Order: sequence, then C-alpha cells, then structure tokens
Amino acid sequence: MFQVIGGRSVQAARVLAPRSAVLVEAVRGRKSRTDPVAKSKVGRIKVPPPVDPVEMVVLKERYGEYQMIMRALRWQKVYAVLEFKEEMLRKKYEEDTGSLAEERARQEAQEHRVLMDLNHLENQRILKLTRTRAARNCQRKEKEILKLQEDVKNFITLENLDQRIEEALDNPQNYNFAIDKQGKVVKQTMLQ
Amino acid sequence: MVQLSSLLLKKYHGGYVILRFALAGHKQANRPFYRIVAAYNKRARDGKYLEQLGSYDPLPNICNEKLVSLNFDRIKYWIGCGAHTTKPVAKLLGLAGFFPLHPMTITDAERQRAQTELTATGTEDGLLEGRKEAEV
Repeated sequence: MFQVIGGRSVQAARVLAPRSAVLVEAVRGRKSRTDPVAKSKVGRIKVPPPVDPVEMVVLKERYGEYQMIMRALRWQKVYAVLEFKEEMLRKKYEEDTGSLAEERARQEAQEHRVLMDLNHLENQRILKLTRTRAARNCQRKEKEILKLQEDVKNFITLENLDQRIEEALDNPQNYNFAIDKQGKVVKQTMLQ
Repeated sequence: MVQLSSLLLKKYHGGYVILRFALAGHKQANRPFYRIVAAYNKRARDGKYLEQLGSYDPLPNICNEKLVSLNFDRIKYWIGCGAHTTKPVAKLLGLAGFFPLHPMTITDAERQRAQTELTATGTEDGLLEGRKEAEV
C-alpha cells in the first residue's frame, strides 16, 4: 500500500496543484490491483437495490411517455432553430438586395455626387488662390534678383581688391556723431 | 490582440454538447453553488464551458426557498442545436415546466409519500400498542 502511495502521489500532486484556479478533489481509488481487500469488507456481497415489479411496470410506462415527448420537443426545437436561422438569413438578404436597399443606394449615390461637385468647386477656388499667390511670389523673387544684379556691380572681387583698398584708405569715413536730448545731431567731431 | 484560446481549442472527435451543473468556484467549504452550463461532454465539470444558461443554489434561503435561474431562450437554442441534458438538469427543467415532468421525480415523490404514511401508521400502531400494554 505504501509503495502504491509513491506511485500515485505524483498523479495526486499533479492533480492537487493544477494550473487552473479550480481545485480538484483527491484522486479516487487509491488501491492498486494487487492490494488485498480491507478487513471490514472481507465477507461483503454487493447486492443491487430491490426492484418492485408493479412500480417497475408503471415506471417503464412513464419513461416511454417521457421519451416520446422529449423526442417530439427536440425535433420541434430543431425546426424552430432552423426556421429562426432561415429568417435571419432572409432578413439579411432583404437588407442587402431588397427594394429598400436599392432606394437607399440611389440616395447615397446622389448625395455622393453632390458632395463630389462641392469638393470640385472648392478645389478650383483654392487652385486659383494658390496661383495668384505663386505669381506674387514670382514677382517678388524677380525684384530681388534685379536688386542683386545691380548690387553685383558694387561687390568687391579679387580684381577690385587693391583698387578698393586704396580708395578706402584715400577717403576716410567718419561715422561718429553726437546727439543731445532734444535730438540735435552733431556730425563734426575731433577726428579729422 | 492574438486570441491565445485559439491555440488551445481542442478538436473533439465525436463530442457533443451537454447541459449540466458546474460548481461555481466560490472557494468556500460546505457552501456549494451550481451554474447551469452548456459545455462539451469531455470537458472537466468546472472547466471551460460554451455558455452559462442559469444557476442553482442548493441550500435554502431565509424564506426556505431554493433559488434557480434559467435562460429559456438560450436553452431552446442549444436543444435545437442538439444538446443533451444530465438527469438533474432534466428533473429541474421538468419541475420548472419547460420539459415534461421526469418519471423519477414522480416515483420518488410516491415512494416518499409511502414512507411517511408507513412511519405515521407505524407510530400510531406503536402508540396504540403501548397504550394497550399499559392498560394490560
């Protein structure tokens, strides 16, 4: 018996420590084939419960009726479920391809067309605005380019370098000035 | 979200759906509470079920009532899909009026009535005998 426990305890442990949250009861039938009968059960003869023939006849009749009614109910339920499913399918079919569905589809197409037209108009308007804005930018850019081209003449390049240095040294510029609180500017200073 | 249960979906060969009681895991000793459940036959009693169709509290409450709840609409659906029932569920539904009354309910009631009559007559006879003996 104790040897058996060693073999069965693994199963019991596996059963008693399951991964699920539910605890299963202890393992049933702890005895193995080779274990002897317990002392208290040595002379025991298992006898089925006594059957009353009168009651049995009545019971058989009742069972027959019961099973007949149950069979009929089952079939009724099966048909009911099938009908229900059919109805659901028919409803879906109606929704998808019925007369109401066509009406709705037409209305939706109309709405779609109207919205698309509005969208088209909006796009055109915005296109015009962008075009004008682009033209204005172009003009501005052109003016800037012209100004630059004129400025180019005044740039100092490697060839002009010596000439411009000499010019700068010959003509000293005096940027100093004085200003009083009344706002009078005086450009004449100590520097030559 | 990946449905991990799809990896654990067992393919039952020749399995069928059954309506039965499952112990609701309240983790309290000596206080059972059953759920009436539609599950595959081979699943553990308290394991994963397809749908819960009601509940049954076996212990009577303050007003001495045993409370039962049943979702008849879904029960009809499952029976229409070919689900079986266990004996206690069939008896309960018979008492509720959804099924015809189970024959064992009637026979058990008759037996109990016979028993109570026996004991009543037995006690009466015993009392009478006792009085006769006393007189004698």
